[in-house]
Amino acid sequence: MGSVLKKWKLPAIMLGPFIVLIFLFFFLPVVLIAILAFTSMDSAMRWDFNGLANFQKLVTDPNILLIVKNTVIYVGFTLLINVFFGLVLGILTTYFIQKESVGLFFRTIWMLPRISPPVVYVLLWLWFFDPSEYGVLNSLRAIFHMPPKEWLTTHPMVAVILANGLIGASFGMIIFSSAIKSIPKDLFYAANVDGASQWSIIKDIIIPAMRWPLMFVTLWQFLSLLTSYEYILLLTNGGPLFESEVLALYSYHKAFRNFEFGYGSAISLVLVLIALIFSFIMWKLFGMKKMMGSSRIE
Amino acid sequence: MKKITASVLSTFILAMGILSGCGKTDQSVGSESNEDKSKVVTIEAQTAAPEITRVENLEKAAEKLNEELKQQGKDIRVKVKTNLFEGSWEEYAKQFMLAFKAKKEPDIYATGHENIGWLADGNYILPLDELKKSKEYSDVFSTLWDSVTYKGHIWGALQDTEARPVFYNKDVLRKLGWSEEQINNLPEKVKNGEFTLDDMTKLAEEAEAKGLVQFGIIHRPVDGSDFHVMVYNFGGKLYDPEENKIVLDKKAVEKQLNYYYEIAQKKLIPGNLTQMEWSSIHKAVVNGKALFYYGGIWNVFNWSQDNFHEKLGKVDEKWINEHFGMMLIPAAEKGGKPITLSHPFVYTVSSQTEHLELVKRLLELVANPALQAEHDVKTFHLPVTKSAAEHPDFKANETLGNVTYMLEYTTFLPNHEGFPKYSKAVFDAIQAVELGKKTPKEALKDLEVQLKNDLGDQLKIVE
Repeated sequence: MGSVLKKWKLPAIMLGPFIVLIFLFFFLPVVLIAILAFTSMDSAMRWDFNGLANFQKLVTDPNILLIVKNTVIYVGFTLLINVFFGLVLGILTTYFIQKESVGLFFRTIWMLPRISPPVVYVLLWLWFFDPSEYGVLNSLRAIFHMPPKEWLTTHPMVAVILANGLIGASFGMIIFSSAIKSIPKDLFYAANVDGASQWSIIKDIIIPAMRWPLMFVTLWQFLSLLTSYEYILLLTNGGPLFESEVLALYSYHKAFRNFEFGYGSAISLVLVLIALIFSFIMWKLFGMKKMMGSSRIE
Repeated sequence: MKKITASVLSTFILAMGILSGCGKTDQSVGSESNEDKSKVVTIEAQTAAPEITRVENLEKAAEKLNEELKQQGKDIRVKVKTNLFEGSWEEYAKQFMLAFKAKKEPDIYATGHENIGWLADGNYILPLDELKKSKEYSDVFSTLWDSVTYKGHIWGALQDTEARPVFYNKDVLRKLGWSEEQINNLPEKVKNGEFTLDDMTKLAEEAEAKGLVQFGIIHRPVDGSDFHVMVYNFGGKLYDPEENKIVLDKKAVEKQLNYYYEIAQKKLIPGNLTQMEWSSIHKAVVNGKALFYYGGIWNVFNWSQDNFHEKLGKVDEKWINEHFGMMLIPAAEKGGKPITLSHPFVYTVSSQTEHLELVKRLLELVANPALQAEHDVKTFHLPVTKSAAEHPDFKANETLGNVTYMLEYTTFLPNHEGFPKYSKAVFDAIQAVELGKKTPKEALKDLEVQLKNDLGDQLKIVE
C-alpha cells in the first residue's frame, strides 16, 4: 500500500488538477449531451425521456439539408484558407524573412485578431461589410460611382468563411513556422550549394518535413471549425433565413432561442459523432501513430 | 528566500487590511434595521430595460405596505431589491430560467403576458387567482384578464398595456396636398373602415413614387407580436383554447404572407429590413424617411431617450404630435373593423418565493392609480384599470388620451407554451417572402412542414 502511494503521489499531484478539469469541462458535458439528446427537455427543464424522437425530428427537419450543406461548405473552405494561408504565412515569415525580429513582427500582426475579443474582431468585419455607404467595401465602391451593396445579405457564406479563415490562419502560421525552424540548416545549405530553386526547396525539403504539423493543424482546425459558431453568430446569426446557419449554430439556436434543449443536444451529439468518426479516419489514414514518434530528420 | 516570503506575506496582509477597511460601508446598512427592531424581508423584483418604473413602482408600493404592517403592529418590514435587465427578450427568458434552477431568481418577474404559457407549464410561477377578486384590481378593463388566463387560472398581475398604432408622417401627407383637416381625420377614417389596408399600400406607393419618402412602410426588424395581428385582420385564429393548441390558419396566413410579399415586391419597405438594427429603424422614421411605421405607443418614449433625429437629437412628445399621427391598423376590407394588438406586461411570482403573502399584497398595492399613471405617462403605456385611466395625471397627457380608444379594437397573442416557436417560424416565412427567396405559396408550404416538426401534436391546422 505504502509503495503504491509513493509511486503515484507525485503524478497524482501533478496531473490531478488537470484530470479533474478535463473531466468536469470536457468529459461531463459530452455525457450530459448524450443523455439530454434522448429527452424532450424544453423550457420546463424536465428530464422526460422520449427515445429517438429528437433524431427522427432531425431527419425530417425541413432545414437540415441546407444546414448540412452549409456546414460542409463552411468547414471545407475555411479549413482550406486556414491551412493553406497558414502555410504561406509560415514560409514567408520564417524562410523568406530570415531576420528573426522582422519575421516575429509580421507574425505578431497576424496574431492580433486572435488576441482581440471575438466581438471586437467581428465588429471590424461588420463595419467592412456594412450595407450603408459608410461601410469599407461600399466606400471603395463609391469611388467608382457604384451603389452600396448589402454584402451580408447577398453573400453571407463568403463573409463567414473569410472572417473565420483569416483569423484561423494564424494558428497554422505559428505551428508551421516553428516546424520550419526545426529543420536542420544544413539541408538548406546543401540545397543552395547544389543550385536548387526556391520552389524545389519548398517542395522537397520544407513540405515533406512538415507532414506531421500539417496533419495536426488540419485535424485540429477541422474539429474546432465543426463545433465553432461564435463568429457566425456575431456576424450573420445564421441569416438571412438559414443561409449561413451551420449545425453547431443550429444546435445553439434550437437550445437557447427555441429552448428545445433536448433537440439541441441531439444535434450536438451528431456533431460529436461526426468528429469522432473523422478523427478515427484521419488517425488511420495519415498513420498518426507513426508520426507521434521522434522526428525522422534528425 | 525567507526575506522574499516575508515581504510577500506582509504585502498580502497589508492589502487585506486595506480591502477590509473598504468593505466597512456594507455593515452599516444592517444596523439601521436593528434600530426599529423589526425583521427586514427582502423581495427581489426584476424587469427589462428601459422601463425601470415597473420595478420602481414596487419600491413605492413597499413603502405603503410597510405603513400597513406598522399599523397592524407586525414587526416585519419589506425592502424591494430591484434589478433592470438589459438584453434581448430571449436572453431575459433564458436568464430567469437558469436563475430559477440555481434558486437565485427574483420573487417578482415582470414579463410580457405571452410568456405565461411556458412559465406556468414549467412550474416556474404561481397562479394568482385571488388578485382578480381584490379591491385594487376590481375595475380592470375586463378583456385584459384574458391575456393572463391560461388553463383556467390567472397567472400574472396586470402591470400595463399599450396600443400598437401605425404612425403616419404628417409632413409627407402635407406635401401630398392633404389639408390639415384631412390629415387629422385619417385615424377616424381608419376607425370607420373607410381607409383600408389596400388604401394604405396605395398611399405609400404614391408617396414613394413622388420621391417624398425613401420607404413607404416600415415594420419591426425582428420577430415579435406585430406580425401576427395580420392573421386576426384577415379573419384568422392563432389559438384554440378548448384543445389548448396553436392554430395554423392556412387561408389567413397565406393572406398575411401575401401582404408582406406585396409590400416588398413594390419596394415599399427597405430591402434588408429584417437585417436592420432597431436604431436604424427609429432613425429612418424620426427623420421622415418613411410614411407609415408599424410602431408602438411607447416609441414616443424611445424617441425622447436617444438622439435619433439627425438635427434635433432627442425629440419630445410635442414635436412628435406635430409631425406624426397615430392610427389603428386599417381593416383588410372596406367597412371592416380596424385592429391593433396589445401586449400587456405582467408581474409573475416565482413558485420558489418564501414570502408569498407579502408579495401578493405588494402586487395589490402597486396597482394604485397614481403609481400606474406615473409609469404610463413616463413611458407611454396605457393603464390596466379604469380608475388609473381617470387619474388626472393620465388624463392630462394628450398623446395617451388620443390612443386610449384603441383598447376597444385590441387583440392579444395566445399564452401557449409553443407560441414562441410558431412566432419564429412565421417570422422566417415573412423574411423569406420579403427577401424574394420564396413565393407566399412556397413559404406557406414550408411553414406547415416546419410547424408540424416543431410543434407536433400541439398544432392544429385549419385549411
